[in-house]
Amino acid sequence: MKRKVVAMLLAGGQGSRLKSLTHEIAKPALPFGGKYRIIDFPLSNCVNSGIHTVGVLTQYQPHVLHNYIGLGTPWDLDRRSGGVTMLTPYAGMEGIKWYDGTADAIYQNIKYLTEQDPKYVIILSGDHIYKMDYQTMLDFHIEQNAGATISVIEVPWKDASRFGIMNTDENMQIKEFVEKPAEPESNLASMGVYIFDWKKLEKYLQLDNDNKNSSHDFGKDIIPLMLEQGEKMMAYPYKGYWKDVGTVESLWEANMDLLNSNSGLNLNDPAWRIFSSNPQLPPQVIGETGYLQEALINEGCVIDGKVEKSVIFQDVEVKEGASLYECVVMSCVVVGKGAKLSRVIIEPNLEIPENFELKEQNGEIVLLTQDIIDEWKGSAGI
Amino acid sequence: MRLVAVIDAAVKKPGLEDLTMYRTTASVPFAGRYRLVDFTLSNIVNSNINAVGVFASYPFVSLLDHIGVGKNWDLDRRKDGLFFLPVSQKAGGQVTVGAFAALEEHTAFFEKSRQKYVVVTTCSTVCQIDYEEMLDAHIASGADITEAVSRDVGLNSYILAKSLLMELIQTYREKKVISVEDVVKLKKAPYSYGKYEYTGYYAIINSIESYFQASMDLLDSDKRNGLFLPGHPIYTKVKDEPPTRYLPGSQVNRSLLANGSTIEGTVENSIISRAVVIKKNSRLDHCVIMQKSVIEENCDLAYVIADKNVHIEEGVVLRGTPEKPVVLRKGERVSKEEVR
Repeated sequence: MKRKVVAMLLAGGQGSRLKSLTHEIAKPALPFGGKYRIIDFPLSNCVNSGIHTVGVLTQYQPHVLHNYIGLGTPWDLDRRSGGVTMLTPYAGMEGIKWYDGTADAIYQNIKYLTEQDPKYVIILSGDHIYKMDYQTMLDFHIEQNAGATISVIEVPWKDASRFGIMNTDENMQIKEFVEKPAEPESNLASMGVYIFDWKKLEKYLQLDNDNKNSSHDFGKDIIPLMLEQGEKMMAYPYKGYWKDVGTVESLWEANMDLLNSNSGLNLNDPAWRIFSSNPQLPPQVIGETGYLQEALINEGCVIDGKVEKSVIFQDVEVKEGASLYECVVMSCVVVGKGAKLSRVIIEPNLEIPENFELKEQNGEIVLLTQDIIDEWKGSAGI
Repeated sequence: MRLVAVIDAAVKKPGLEDLTMYRTTASVPFAGRYRLVDFTLSNIVNSNINAVGVFASYPFVSLLDHIGVGKNWDLDRRKDGLFFLPVSQKAGGQVTVGAFAALEEHTAFFEKSRQKYVVVTTCSTVCQIDYEEMLDAHIASGADITEAVSRDVGLNSYILAKSLLMELIQTYREKKVISVEDVVKLKKAPYSYGKYEYTGYYAIINSIESYFQASMDLLDSDKRNGLFLPGHPIYTKVKDEPPTRYLPGSQVNRSLLANGSTIEGTVENSIISRAVVIKKNSRLDHCVIMQKSVIEENCDLAYVIADKNVHIEEGVVLRGTPEKPVVLRKGERVSKEEVR
């Protein structure tokens, strides 16, 4: 197979700005959209793009992720050849080595890639929400005869300094890659999706590994090194929904985008399904006192209260008299009678007491945890 | 490990014809995201039975497509597991459960199994029965055949020794009996008969009226909780539908909805399956809408059962009654002009 592609999905991210949501799970395992985990998006993109060999690189809190992906069945990645392979740091003759940077993580799995023997490697990040056909990007890469192709998206100029920015010529050839520039010259941000010819990437990974001053990062080291060596580097313009859910605020926003028909994020497209593990739960029940206005609700829920502009994960109960406004309620939560919450993300498995009240603070989305409930109970003398 | 299960999906319920034109009774959609067979299969696996023969006659394509190799019920096993056993046209289509003419076509299934007892059941009874408990009662009573009942109503589940079943399969013609149900009904000598009293929720679905009533039962929380018991999940073929979306203007009360639907209208006292679209200013009351059906704007439907892929065009008004709901067949398209 001349076009054989292997995807390497970087899923070791901690996501420290997501507070307690990622204390025990890696960011790609974060629940999103009522039934998904973020990693469902790149995994589904792979299979929908006809890529059936995926290495998932994990390091930080990998258990939930490993258990979740299992043999890859929900994504049809339980295959005799290829399929999904979990790649964790390992011990070898030289001792135990943790993944030290994104490029180092791939470098340490050169053996896996050599065994798979691809023509192309696509590097993906496990913490972005988007739907993208990687084959179209590969066609572009081949057509342009590029050494590497990096997918880019136009971001608002005011936000450009938060991203890795590509400065390109009029043909989209990359002249310069600048990580988080103070004064950006362009608003083309890297989406963290890279396509390389495998043999070429292998050479640069080796060079980078030999450089003791390198931080072994794709954006900071590999891309600049390839540019320096005169490789033809192309920016592939992507138009569509893309979101990096790095903070509580952006996680909330991405969930709210699902309620907005014009956001560009459509989960109902049968031609580009987002696959996920499907728990075996009964249908959702909307009770006699239930009231819904703009909501996304998963199976297993029982809604007897008021739900407005909210995303509700599986197995949630909203009791009579409770009200939710612009909330994200993760799985197995019970919202007690008369509780009122507005612009809050609710962690899984919480039991919210009767008449509990919480809303955004100073315009910021609040993350509701067991600690906040315990404190409230203390002050209410319960 | 003591029981092997026989699901008789070849049995025909004449009252359900509108829903079984293209499918077996076993694959009639029920409770939004299930098929009737899911309740039977889930009871079986929740009773730790892992050898199951599904006897099915034409048209069984939808049933085969639904259960596949039994993966969703953890029945894709190296040892035992699920066996799909097609029954010929001449042996299928009996009205009583456990027809010997059908079982006779697959005696190898029984010969290969190592279990000592057989439970013979079907898909037209929806309940949460524990066959291990029923087997204990069967053994304790010393009866030859035990029937599950609720008060005096038979639930169409029978336990007997495999050796007795084999004997009946070999001798049913001379004994002039046609099925396990028939043997039990006639109390055929020289066998002894026992009863196992089931006390939970059940519904027997053998007509459109009983199908509709069983669907409406699900809106009653006591009945629903009797069918969806914690620790006894009902498994089904999973679909990758997103959560259901309620758009601005939607109004939903006292209803059961599966995933993947988009609701913009008013829905009351109804069961809505996967991937259904209900557009704005449409009103549904006491309806059962199956997978992928679309209800356009300004419709008013009461006591309607819409099978899969039904398309109801703008402005249609349809009114049935609890005893005689309007049934729209699979793939039907209904316009305002036709209704007049």
